[in-house]
Amino acid sequence: MSTALYQHFPIFAIMALFLGAFLIVLFGNIKPLRHAIALLAVTASLGFLIALVKPVMLNGEIIAYWMGARAPAGGYAIGIALEVDALSLFFGLLIATAVFVSCVYSIQYMRHDDNVSQYYTLFLMLAGGVMGLVLSGDLFNMFIMVEILTFAAVALTAFRNTVNGALEAAFKYLVVGCMGSTCILAGTIMLYAQAHTLNFAQLSAFIPGNMNTATVVAFALLYIGFSTKAFIVPFHPLAADAHGAAPASISVLISGVLTKSGIYGIIRLSYFLFQTMELGTMQFLLVFMGSVSMFVCVTMALAQHDFKRLLAFHSISQIGYVLTAVGLCTAMGISSGLYHAMNHTLFKGLLFLAAGAVLHETGTTDLGKLGGLSKKMPWTTALFLVGAFSISGIPPFNGFASKWMVYQSIYQKAVESGNIGFLFVTIIALVTSVLTLASFVKVSQSVFFGQLPKEYENVKEVPWGMRLAMGLFAVLCIVTGLFPNAVTTYLTQPAAAAVFNVANYINAMMGSGYAESVMGAAAPAAQAVTFVEVGVWQPVSWLLILIIALLAITIVAIAGQYDRVSEKAPAPAPVDGKYDLFFGGEQSVYSQVGGEDLFWGFKHNWRGYFSFMHELHSGIVNDYALWAVVALALTTLYMLIVF
Amino acid sequence: MIMFNYIASFFLIVLGFYTIVTKTNLVKTVIGLSIADYGVNLLIISIGFNPGGTAPIFTWGELNPASFFVDPIPQALTLTSIVIGACVTAMSLSLVMKLREQYGTIDTREIRRLRG
Repeated sequence: MSTALYQHFPIFAIMALFLGAFLIVLFGNIKPLRHAIALLAVTASLGFLIALVKPVMLNGEIIAYWMGARAPAGGYAIGIALEVDALSLFFGLLIATAVFVSCVYSIQYMRHDDNVSQYYTLFLMLAGGVMGLVLSGDLFNMFIMVEILTFAAVALTAFRNTVNGALEAAFKYLVVGCMGSTCILAGTIMLYAQAHTLNFAQLSAFIPGNMNTATVVAFALLYIGFSTKAFIVPFHPLAADAHGAAPASISVLISGVLTKSGIYGIIRLSYFLFQTMELGTMQFLLVFMGSVSMFVCVTMALAQHDFKRLLAFHSISQIGYVLTAVGLCTAMGISSGLYHAMNHTLFKGLLFLAAGAVLHETGTTDLGKLGGLSKKMPWTTALFLVGAFSISGIPPFNGFASKWMVYQSIYQKAVESGNIGFLFVTIIALVTSVLTLASFVKVSQSVFFGQLPKEYENVKEVPWGMRLAMGLFAVLCIVTGLFPNAVTTYLTQPAAAAVFNVANYINAMMGSGYAESVMGAAAPAAQAVTFVEVGVWQPVSWLLILIIALLAITIVAIAGQYDRVSEKAPAPAPVDGKYDLFFGGEQSVYSQVGGEDLFWGFKHNWRGYFSFMHELHSGIVNDYALWAVVALALTTLYMLIVF
Repeated sequence: MIMFNYIASFFLIVLGFYTIVTKTNLVKTVIGLSIADYGVNLLIISIGFNPGGTAPIFTWGELNPASFFVDPIPQALTLTSIVIGACVTAMSLSLVMKLREQYGTIDTREIRRLRG
C-alpha cells in the first residue's frame, strides 16, 4: 500500500510534541536548548498541520492512517487509527496556533519561575494530548489522550503552588475531571460491549442502527465526560478556579484548547457516533446547555473582582455560543459555531496574555487594586483593547463576524422550524453580548484607565517576546475579522461539510461501501452541503433583529423597574472617602473609579440573583462533584426518555 | 453469573461517586475516586469474559480456529486503566499533602478560598 508522504503528517504532528516533552526531560537543564526544543516542537507540529490544509481542506480528502499499516480485515478494525477529516484538522490548526503563541509567550513570562524545564515538559504533554485527541480515530485512544491532557492541565494549574488557591483549584479540577474521565471510560467500554470495536468509523457505522438502553446510557456518560472537558455549565466553577491560579500561558491553553477538545468530543459523539442530531430533542439539549452556559457565566463574570477569574467566566460564556450554534444542526449553524470557536481561541488567548502581562509587571490581578496602567503599558493596553473589542463583537474585529453569523443561524433556525424557542435563544445571545461589553468596559476602566495607584509608578512595559505573542493573536483577530469570507470558505465550511458527510468518514477508514453494507438503507448519503447566504443582506432580517433587540431591552427595562420597596436593604456604610458627600485633596487624586462602581444600579436591582449565584458557587469540592453527578443523572434520564 | 459482576461494578462506581459527594475528608475523596475507578475496571474485565475461555496467550503455532479464550482487548484496556488510576491516586494524594501544609486542614468545607 503506497501512501503519499503527507499521510504521515498527523502522527508527526502528535509525535513532535511528545518527543519534545521527552527531550526536555533529558536536556531541559540547559536553558537555550530547552527553549529551542520547545519552540521547534510546536513549530513542527503547526507546520505539519498547515501542510495538510491543501489536501484535506481544499481537496476534501480524509486521511485514514493505520498505525503499523494494520488495515481493517474482514470488516473489522484491528489496528489503532488516526483519522483526519476537515473537522479534525480545523481543531488541530486552532490548537497548534494557540500552543505556538503560548510557547513564544512562555519564554519570557516564565523566566522568573523555578523548575521551568518541568513546565515545558508538562506544557508539551498537554499540547500533545489535545492534538492526539482531535486527530485520533479510536475511542479508547481518545480516552487516553483525555487523561494525558487532564493530568498535564492539573499539574500546570498547581505549577505556581505558592499562588493563593492554586493547589485548591488543581485538586477540585482533578476530582471533577477524573469523574468525567471515569464516565468517558465507562461509556467507551459499554459501546465496546455492544459493537466489539473501538474504532470510531466502525462504531459510527454500527451504533445508529442498533440503539438500545446500553448505548443510550453510554451516550449520556460520554456526553457528560466531554462536557467536563468543555467546562460548560455545571462545570464552569472549575474553569474559573483553574484559570485564576494557572500561569497566563496555561490559561490560554485551558481556555483556547481544552474547552475546544470538549466541544470537538461533543460534535464527534452527537453527529458521528450516534447521529442523533436530526432529533429536535437532542438539538434542544445542546442549545439549552449552550444558552444556560452563555447567560449564567456572563452574569457570574460581572460579579468578579479578579481579572483572570472574570476572563475565565467569559470564556465559558463564549463556549456557550459555540455549543448553541453547533446544536442547531444546520450547515450555517456549525460553520458559525466553528468560526466562533476559532475566534474564541484567538481573542481569549489575547486577553489572558494581557492579564498575564499585567500580573507579570504588577504582581496582582485584583481589579480593585489596579488602575491607570495605560500610561505605563501602552502596548499591552492597545492589544488588550483589540481583544476586548473582539469579544464584545465590535464590527471590524473577528468577534463581530462570528457572533453575527451565530445570531443569523439561530434566527434562521427559528424561521425554518417555526419554533418560537429559538427566538428566545437569539435574545439571550444578544443580551449576553451586551453584558460582555459592559463587563469589558469595567475591566478596561479598572485596569488600564483611571488613576494610577502610587505603588505602580515604576511599572514598565512587558518585554518584547510577550508583546510579540500578544501581537500575533491581535493580528490574527483583525485578519479573521476583516476577511470573514475567506475564513468561512477555506476553514469552517469544509469542516461543517465534513460534519454532514458521515458516510465519507466511515468509508475513508473502513473501505468504500462499508457504511452502505453495514447500515443498509439508513446509511447517510454523501451530500453536497450548500451554504446559502443567510440573509446577511436582506433588510427584513436586520429589521427583525432590531425588533428582537428592542424587545430584549424592554424586558430588561421592565424587570429593572420592578423594585420591591419592602426588600430594600439599608445602604452599606461607605468605607472609601469617594462615597462621602464631600471629599478632596490628595485622597481624591488617587481615588479610582473602580470596576465595582460601574453598573452598580444594575447589580443592585439584580442583587437577589447575584447573591444567590454567589452562595451557589460555594467553593466546596463536594458541591461541584454533586453537580456533576446530578448532571449525569439528569442527562441519562433525559436521553432514556427521548430515545 | 456475569450479571452479578455488572451489578457490582455499577454499585462500585455509584459508591465511589457517593463517597466523593458526601465525604468532607480529602483523603476519603481520593478513596472515592479509586473506588469508582475499580468499578470501571471490573466492568471492563467482565465485558471481555467468556465462560470457559482460557487466557489469551498463544504462540503462532498454537492458535487455531478451535481456540476458545477470553477477549484480550478489554484486558489491555484494564491494564491501561489501572495505571491511570494509580497516577490519579498518586497525584491527588500529593496535592492533599501540599494542601495540608498550606491550609492546615484537609476538610473540604474549609478549603474554599476560591468561590463566588
